Amino acid sequence: MEPEEIDDFEQQLRLVLEQVPAPPGLKRRVIERRDAQRTARRRRVMWWRRLALTTAVICMLAGGWFWHGIQQRRNGQEARRQVILALRITSRALTQMQLQLAAHNQSVLNRKQVEQE
Amino acid sequence: MATEWQPDFEELMDEHQSMVFSLAMRMTGDRGLAEEIAQDVFLELDRHLRNIGSPQHARFWLRRVTMSRSADALRRRRVRGIPLWVRIEENHAVQPEEQSSALGVRMERLLRTLPETQRAALVLRYQEDLTPEEIAAALGAPLATVKSHLQRGLKLLRAKAARDLKEYVRGA
Repeated sequence: MEPEEIDDFEQQLRLVLEQVPAPPGLKRRVIERRDAQRTARRRRVMWWRRLALTTAVICMLAGGWFWHGIQQRRNGQEARRQVILALRITSRALTQMQLQLAAHNQSVLNRKQVEQE
Repeated sequence: MATEWQPDFEELMDEHQSMVFSLAMRMTGDRGLAEEIAQDVFLELDRHLRNIGSPQHARFWLRRVTMSRSADALRRRRVRGIPLWVRIEENHAVQPEEQSSALGVRMERLLRTLPETQRAALVLRYQEDLTPEEIAAALGAPLATVKSHLQRGLKLLRAKAARDLKEYVRGA
């Protein structure tokens, strides 16, 4: 094949393969699809945001409720400890009083015995 | 001081829609499918717009993605054996035969009979006037392979033209 023939054929090919115009309305259709996709994406983002917000609120409420439960348990334990302490103090006071009464009774008995003798 | 280039989607569409559509149509041979590919390519461009740094980058990106999407569409069509659905409007259904010269139509038909890789190389070479190096970059193929596709494709097309287009092709 001669070089000029190749050039001629390639030149014809270049002319035949010129860019063809895009179909009318291609840009409009692309922009419509883009806008629809953006709207759908925005809706999806909003939906996820709402879900995240709801989850956060639920977690906070659950955390608050759990913390409140722990606090109540701690308060209950503290109250129990104080009641036990109060009972111990009362018990000790009663024991002391009992000892004093016993000693007093003993001294009265001793005194009566001395008087009878 | 040079200002930084800001990509504008609609300007890029105005500038490149014919190129994208022509590449897709010559690769698939189907106007409806080519329009669908062109729409998908531009929607993808919109999503990647912030990564596009210059007009040259935009043109290179569009060529590369169009060729890749066209190859995917052809592969899907081969696998499924059915044409993909696309919304067709009245003015969209104009056949290329009505718009082009008889030689152009017949040459394009011959081009469609070439193997896909050779057709891709020839379309980028003669429609887009790219060098083999640029074609290799656009197709993501080794330079030697692209040169081989160009040479073989041209030889095959010339042989087909010599057989079918004797009255048009001088010296074929």
